Amino acid sequence: MKKLGRLTEYVITVLIILSINFFLPRMMPGDPFLFLSGDQGEQISAYSDEQIRQYKACYGLDQPIFRSYLSYLADLFRGRLGQSLYFNESVGHIVLRRLPWTVFLVCGAILFSTVLGTALGSLSAFYRNRLLDNVLYGFMMFFSEIPAFLIGLFFLFVFAASLGLFPLSGALTSFSPDRSVVQVLKDIIHHAVLPVAALSLTRLGGMYLLVRNIMISIIPKAYMRTARAKGLSRYRIFIRHGLRNALLPLTTRIFMSLGTLVGGAVLVENVFAYPGLGLMISQAVMVHDYPLIQGIFLVITLLVLSANLMSEVLYRVLDPRVKDGEG
Amino acid sequence: MLELNDLSIVYPENHGPLTAVDHVSLRLERGGRLGIIGESGCGKSSLALSLMGLNRKARTHGTIVYQGVQLNGQSDKAFKAVRWKKIAMVFQNGSEVLNPVLNVFEQLDEVLKTHRRFSTKQRRELVLTWLERVGLDRNWAFEFPHRLSGGMRQRALLAMALCCEPELLILDEPTSSLDARSRSELMGLIDSIQADQGYSLILISHQLSVIEAMTTDLLTLYAGQMMEYGPTHTLLHHPMHPYTRGLINASPDYQIYKELWGMPGGNHETPASNGCPFAPRCVQKGPRCKNSRPQVQIITDGRSLACNKGGIEILLKGEHLHKSFALKKGTVQALCDVNVELKSGEILAVLGKTGSGKSTLAHVLSGLYPSDQGRLTFWEPGLDSLSATRKRDGLQIVFQDPYSSTSHRMTVLDTVKEPLDILGWGTSESRRDAALSALAQVELPNKPEFLEKHGHALSGGQRQRLSLARALTMKPRILIADEITSMLDPSSRANLLRTLMGLQNAQGFSMIFITHDLFLARKVADRVMVMDRGRCIEQGSSVRVFQNPFHPRTRELVDTMLGNVKNEPMLGMKQNVYNLLKPREAETFFQVNHNKEQRRTP
Repeated sequence: MKKLGRLTEYVITVLIILSINFFLPRMMPGDPFLFLSGDQGEQISAYSDEQIRQYKACYGLDQPIFRSYLSYLADLFRGRLGQSLYFNESVGHIVLRRLPWTVFLVCGAILFSTVLGTALGSLSAFYRNRLLDNVLYGFMMFFSEIPAFLIGLFFLFVFAASLGLFPLSGALTSFSPDRSVVQVLKDIIHHAVLPVAALSLTRLGGMYLLVRNIMISIIPKAYMRTARAKGLSRYRIFIRHGLRNALLPLTTRIFMSLGTLVGGAVLVENVFAYPGLGLMISQAVMVHDYPLIQGIFLVITLLVLSANLMSEVLYRVLDPRVKDGEG
Repeated sequence: MLELNDLSIVYPENHGPLTAVDHVSLRLERGGRLGIIGESGCGKSSLALSLMGLNRKARTHGTIVYQGVQLNGQSDKAFKAVRWKKIAMVFQNGSEVLNPVLNVFEQLDEVLKTHRRFSTKQRRELVLTWLERVGLDRNWAFEFPHRLSGGMRQRALLAMALCCEPELLILDEPTSSLDARSRSELMGLIDSIQADQGYSLILISHQLSVIEAMTTDLLTLYAGQMMEYGPTHTLLHHPMHPYTRGLINASPDYQIYKELWGMPGGNHETPASNGCPFAPRCVQKGPRCKNSRPQVQIITDGRSLACNKGGIEILLKGEHLHKSFALKKGTVQALCDVNVELKSGEILAVLGKTGSGKSTLAHVLSGLYPSDQGRLTFWEPGLDSLSATRKRDGLQIVFQDPYSSTSHRMTVLDTVKEPLDILGWGTSESRRDAALSALAQVELPNKPEFLEKHGHALSGGQRQRLSLARALTMKPRILIADEITSMLDPSSRANLLRTLMGLQNAQGFSMIFITHDLFLARKVADRVMVMDRGRCIEQGSSVRVFQNPFHPRTRELVDTMLGNVKNEPMLGMKQNVYNLLKPREAETFFQVNHNKEQRRTP
């Protein structure tokens, strides 16, 4: 019964987002065909009025907006994301090609920020109100307030442009065939270092604070005292009793924060010209490519929502008390 | 084996240091069983935690020495060497004492893994055996703690503490979450395993019956200081410190008859560092208690006490009291060789049939009649019963009949402040104030129209309260209540008694409560004295006298009283008989039955 309720909630959320997805791009001033040939910002049209009318009929844009909304929904149910107006290619293909890069970026950032944030946060909690904690805390507060793209720009200037340690843009060196898998992997990682670092750094502050707070609330718990009384090793007390309990709120928060992370990724991809979905979005918005915008937003939405759903499922697995609470 | 020397534990709080344990010294031998009692916040748990070095933020002064090795020192090392291997603890049962995300087995297994060298298989078998030994089915081993009931969790905690076979077991409130049956089971278990392994025990509990059953020595803590120490049984049955007595009086397992009253006060305001910490709440505090900290003194074999007054004072002592009245023909012995003793803060009920000499005793004690023979001494040397009744903070008596003990021609106010007027105490203003506050204490109105009323305009209950208020204006140290409720209806009687008991508990005066009503005495008295034909035939704690009277006449008295209770259901039947039969027939029916009974019991 309760599970069904949660599911309905998710379905309603998806429907609302779909609608927003559809109407929002169409509220922008302008028109796809004005931009098909013109430079950005210039309103020149390569087409004659006759041609535009023809194209609009072809893409169904001459129909009343409500009817096209319904046909959009109907198409979605059939699994069709539509055809990109600008690239003249199926939206599904474009998204599939771009998606792995974004996922790679986001996963890398989660991994680094979580590992580092957990380590630093626990350290801070154990040395609470001492020098180490104070220094770390100040440092983290400072960094967590800087937006991702600023850090990205800074990295670009320092590590890529000035020092030349990393490439300026892209995810792969193009036009270099005949390379071994290892070389390709190396190249991918080389390209990903700066974007992942920028994205991780913006998340690190939040993770650090979260872990620090969780650990501070766990340390005075009775079971931690029991663990110390039992004469267990420090490592065991910390990992088995402390972190194991911190894992619950931690995982949920990681999944819950995926939305903001994807938002960050969009900005970072634009800064580094990284060929993920984020870069694609800004291109699609520029040219008023409605189907593409809708398609990308839809995929991102579904990803974030499924991450939320997963966090709930995971919580149930990790916390033995939740299962019984439902029964 | 374990030795605490001048141990103090101080928590550095934001608003100044908080001393949880204050200069406690004690020794525990191998196999010894020590109990620690005290109100919550008295430092029991802090003391227990400090033995394992678990007070993270506290500073410890003094030494904790275990088997010749000082545990508290610069580093954690010495503690680490004993934790769970030698000293283990059963923590106070709480939902988070066990880790919520690890199952019971894992939590037991990890101690064995850390401290003992066994294979995984051996450990598993050992854990399951221990769980079974404490009465927890093996099926529960792989469950998470939240699925266990309080009692099962307690057993798991016990198994966890015992599985490394410690030499010293600390139990913090092990039975407070259990029902009576599981409690005795668990106690039996701890007992029998102790017989097997010979560990020493430190038991912290609020349940004095558990303490008495499990321990041989007892420590009473107040505000982190040692108040009393000695053999458990003696301490619980003959407490010498007012605090220990207060704890016992507040325990339903010891005060089974008397109304329960906790010690008044107790918000634990930081006691004056140089005085006795208990002084603000003590019934017998004197000027010295405020600024001199009592030293722990050894009283007798193994018994020590920290009290400036040397323990509970004796306020009144009558020895070999005789009193006879001359009749036209011969004399009547109203008192014959009576010894009586009254401690501070104590309620002594004097019981007996009419004419047994109860009132004579009251009158002799309050100086209304001189005794023919014998000695009467009071708390101060040189004080006699007449001078004691003539001073504030002395002795007062309230009589049975309020109609004759308070004048019907005097106003309420004049009646109450009369003793102060006679003494010429203070100003007339302060006498009036004292009278008003006494009236408030006995729950009489102090509105002007009431104060101007005359005695004859009051009801019996009100007049008895009036005479009580009159006694209270003198702030008595001893109050003798001579059948004060016998002329009141049951409801007024109950109200008056509750007021009186509340006042006694709040002000801590001692009371001699004279009554022929055993039920009433049982609800009121700490100690009971039974009189018969001018002699005291029995004296003892109220529980003992009512449960196990020594003297045959006392037994008879108690039996008659309880016999009445047994016959009570008869009332219903009697009513039925009256309803079924005509009144005359009913009378004869009961007459015949009564005669039969008489014949049966010679």
